[in-house]
Amino acid sequence: MSTHTVDAPKKRNFKISKRYLPYVLSLPALLMCIGILIPFFTAVAYSLQRYRLSQPWARKWNWGENYLNFMTDPAFWNTLKVSLTYAFLTVGVELLLGLGIALLLQKRTRFNNFVSIMLLMPLMTAPALASLMWKLMTNPGFGVLSYWATLLGIEDMKWASDPSTAMMTVVIVDVWVYTPFIMILLLAGLRSLPRQPFEAAELDGVPRLFVFWKITLPMLTPFLLTAVLFRVIESIQQFDIIYAMTQGGPGDKLTVFQVEAYLNFFQSTNVGRSAALLMILWLITYILSTIFIKNWLRLRERARGEG
Amino acid sequence: MHKASVLERTLRGIALTLVIFFFMFPIFWIFLMSFQTNETILRVPPSMIFEPTLTNYRSLISGTLEGSTATLEIRFMSNLYNSLFLSVTSVTVGLLLGVPAAYAFAKLKFRGSEDIAFTLLSFRFAPPLLVLLPLTIYFQKIGLADTYLGLIWVYQLIVLPLILWIVRGYFEDIPSDIEYAHRIAGHGFWSTFTKIALPLAGPGIAAAGLLAFIFAWNNFIFALVLASADKQPVTVGALAFITASGINYGQIAAGIMLSIAPTFALALYAQRYLVEGLSLGAVKG
Amino acid sequence: MSLSLTDIRKSFKDDTVLDGVSLEVPTGKTLVLFGPSGAGKTVLLRLIAGVIEPDAGVVEIAGRNMSGVEPEDRGIGMAFQNFALFPHMSALDNIASPLTAQKQSKSAIQSGVQSLARLLKIEHVLGHKPKELSNGQKQRTALARALAGKPEVLLLDDPLRNVDAKLRFEMRLELPRLIKDQNATVIYVTQDYKEAMAFGDEIAVINDGRIQQIGTPEQVYLTPANTDIARLFGDPVINLLEVTPQMGASGPFVAVSDQPVPLPASHSGDIDRPCILGLRPEALSFASPETPGTIPMTVETEAPLNEKTVTLAVTARGREIMLSRPAGTPGPRSGPAHMVINASAALLFDRATGELIQGTTDAQAQGKVA
Repeated sequence: MSTHTVDAPKKRNFKISKRYLPYVLSLPALLMCIGILIPFFTAVAYSLQRYRLSQPWARKWNWGENYLNFMTDPAFWNTLKVSLTYAFLTVGVELLLGLGIALLLQKRTRFNNFVSIMLLMPLMTAPALASLMWKLMTNPGFGVLSYWATLLGIEDMKWASDPSTAMMTVVIVDVWVYTPFIMILLLAGLRSLPRQPFEAAELDGVPRLFVFWKITLPMLTPFLLTAVLFRVIESIQQFDIIYAMTQGGPGDKLTVFQVEAYLNFFQSTNVGRSAALLMILWLITYILSTIFIKNWLRLRERARGEG
Repeated sequence: MHKASVLERTLRGIALTLVIFFFMFPIFWIFLMSFQTNETILRVPPSMIFEPTLTNYRSLISGTLEGSTATLEIRFMSNLYNSLFLSVTSVTVGLLLGVPAAYAFAKLKFRGSEDIAFTLLSFRFAPPLLVLLPLTIYFQKIGLADTYLGLIWVYQLIVLPLILWIVRGYFEDIPSDIEYAHRIAGHGFWSTFTKIALPLAGPGIAAAGLLAFIFAWNNFIFALVLASADKQPVTVGALAFITASGINYGQIAAGIMLSIAPTFALALYAQRYLVEGLSLGAVKG
Repeated sequence: MSLSLTDIRKSFKDDTVLDGVSLEVPTGKTLVLFGPSGAGKTVLLRLIAGVIEPDAGVVEIAGRNMSGVEPEDRGIGMAFQNFALFPHMSALDNIASPLTAQKQSKSAIQSGVQSLARLLKIEHVLGHKPKELSNGQKQRTALARALAGKPEVLLLDDPLRNVDAKLRFEMRLELPRLIKDQNATVIYVTQDYKEAMAFGDEIAVINDGRIQQIGTPEQVYLTPANTDIARLFGDPVINLLEVTPQMGASGPFVAVSDQPVPLPASHSGDIDRPCILGLRPEALSFASPETPGTIPMTVETEAPLNEKTVTLAVTARGREIMLSRPAGTPGPRSGPAHMVINASAALLFDRATGELIQGTTDAQAQGKVA
């Protein structure tokens, strides 16, 4: 027993550490939480102030005025409309395309696995750099896509610089970057589905379209929901692609929430309006993310169960 | 399995070809562009036939840009270095902070642990500017503006939730009995943490680190708001570069290729963990 | 090192796992903790090992209160039911783990591991990782690791549960000697009554978080505290018949197929009480019809069981009865037969509670009269 003698001081040391151990281990993360919550509450305060960096002397609390002004502010409604349009278009296309590709690659073959890894490359490209790549390809002077457009009979296609095609252009870039995200999630989902229902349906000669609607899709729903919510939350906040491509232009065609807030802050130096815009965006994403997290947790449980 | 008809196989083949073309062509095209001079790039119609040249890469690496009017100093290499430095240090800091916390959340359930974990997770989904804009003002006041330290701290916003939630899952997968057995064999808490928990969660920690690196490298908005030219990573630098160089498209293309190469390499290396990482541990690949 | 538990309680959320458990194990003795899964056995071992803390109650090792003492400081060795080997370490490093914790020299560790490995016949797989080991080798490695630190308290959590039948048979023979050689105080958890009978100096029967009976293997077998324990110990299972004691000329008795089975006089106080009569199959034997007091029945089938032959019969009232006799002794294969009951081996349980009725002693009976 000699090696296991317990002396009193050691025992007391331990008791303290055991109770506080989890806090000691997670303290940095805790501080991080606080470090983020401070700017967050500052932002809340800014949103309730008349605050322009160019007129610091005029700074004062105006309470809900920034928000109230939004009601009659066409620029705000434009921002909301552009953001929602962008999120709807990107996620809609990405979902259809991602699901289609996932179904194409569903079988576990060497070739399919290779293709799915190759398709991840756009997702690994920094979105801002992806915009640059597409800028080079859509340059009206030498861009290969502009040239192809002329082959299709569309002369003088200006892509992101033209108000009528600007949205389409950034949506294409977003689709190029993020479709692989949905694809890879759904592919993992499809491959994790139990095989019996499909084998049974095959034996019974059930039409494949029916199998898809009645078996595949319902079983894939948690994955679809997670992927779509994840993407909607990110897409409604998109900044990198749009800012790198057009900085919100032409005109106010692409002034989505974060771009508008950025321009408000750094160009018009209207901190109050900028913060109020971000608060509204935060509210939208907060609601979406609570729904998302519930779904995500369920999937996570399942993944842990398998692992 | 279902025997595919010839028609079906053909349609599938066409669809897959189109998909591969859409997603691969831009990378391929920019890759080609990076080996061309402005002359061949500006040809109409664009062509894939040209005499490849390394001048674009050479001038990027040497740091002198020969524009059409004058010779310019460019900081592309310093941007690349900034990206590397910011990503590596952010991930290192993130691992040092995140791994012990992940262990606490996974194995030592304590009061408030879930709340903290979810608060951290919710940062992942909040608009980054909401935190960044007040921070620019604070950073001015406390002298963190335009410092690596300030940037590394802000980078934790993306790095930490990722590491925490992925690594937590790996810790949860370690059967408690294995850790108990080690304690009962006579080893203390820290010894069990370092000799049992860390090695067993090793692959997860590595994967989380690699993914966090990719996300940090690809980040744009943090540095755009908080960093001045000499601290900027490539994502922001490249944007400035395109305005500065104006018309030297080959060099822009070469710069893009150099900037995306590291993340591509890491993604290929860590592909097994990509799905899990991208979904923050919700889906296993 | 003696081990003592006093009124241990433990709940997880609303689920009470241990509800006031008290135990004593004298130094060097082996206590078998026997009970169905979910009875709280594993939790109890973990509490003793110190990896979880009790809500209330005291764990004492060698008379010292273990509250707040870390698992690594308790001087315990433990073998887990699922082995819990360190998957990233070789069998050798697994076994050496307690020795490295004691900061022994390289050579001491080497020789310590070698001698244990020789004893447990796993020398040839010491370099293998756990996933390269067979179940039996894993089990032996886990045992070796538990023994390596020469612990004075050894906790064995159903170590033979997850190994195949052949190995279990071998280990049942080897393990008791191995344990005895350790001179350790042992708590051995099992769900197998034969292991319990073979290994235990004492057996503690636990169910629903409570100790139901503590006693030597003989005590538990011969005087089970209730019908549950009576059913769990013994193969073939005990015959339990619903009876009501009556008073006859020569004292209390119960009727089995209209034949009186005399009870000890001490059961005089249990007349007309609804009871269950417990008859071990070996307390029943075949007899010729002329023997007085025999009970007629019909033999349905018979089957060999280890060194016994078990006969299933049905009484005139349609109750199923099992008899056992040493293998090789003669007995009817089928058809009508008669049996006699060894009344002294009969057990009487209360029908409502299932508790064994010890029978009021003469002294108490007199007290009642007075």
